[in-house]
Amino acid sequence: MSDNFDPDLIQAIFKLIWSKNALAGTSKKNRPTSANSSALKMSCELLRLFVTEAVQRAAAIAEAEGASKIQATHLERILPQLLLDF
Amino acid sequence: MENQQEDESAAADLLRDRFRLSTISIVQSEAKQNNMEISEPIVACISDLAFKYAAEHVAKDLELFAAHGGRKTVNMKDVILCAHRNEHLADLLRSFGNDLKDKDPQSEKKRKKKSRKDDNAASSVLHIPDDT
Repeated sequence: MSDNFDPDLIQAIFKLIWSKNALAGTSKKNRPTSANSSALKMSCELLRLFVTEAVQRAAAIAEAEGASKIQATHLERILPQLLLDF
Repeated sequence: MENQQEDESAAADLLRDRFRLSTISIVQSEAKQNNMEISEPIVACISDLAFKYAAEHVAKDLELFAAHGGRKTVNMKDVILCAHRNEHLADLLRSFGNDLKDKDPQSEKKRKKKSRKDDNAASSVLHIPDDT
């Protein structure tokens, strides 16, 4: 799979959340959490799986209804189970 | 204080837009594989879902898991723990982790001995058939 998220982008998103929590936290050394490179790559893979799973399930519903384009109703149908699965 | 909040939300918006660009290319190639078209608002919707999932769930879980392990650095096991409710997903991530190690063995040399046990344990459960 060549298409995937950029680990740097994911790191930036994580950092935004982690730095917020470090400011709010009461611990003595407020050094925010960081992630090693393989963990970031794996997070990218996790998010890619989330996105591809959403598309595949919606595509299956759309195909069952004989539609050629994925519409909002198809996403609505698969959304509850998708969110439970992740 | 208000300024800081504004800066933060501006940074979040920028990241959200970059994230959306990556999502669009993934979604389009996936849709092509399924011989489906996908309407633009749905792509944006999936992108926002994934972004919220990453920021609100994954990031917080990883931080808590690392803190629970007494670490300040997130490692691969923490990410696998994120998917612990879904066996299939956890297995996919585990095999992805093994592929990473195989591709890049020199950086993992120190951990080789310890991880060999994990490799064996993981490979025995990797043969679960894909039912999706």
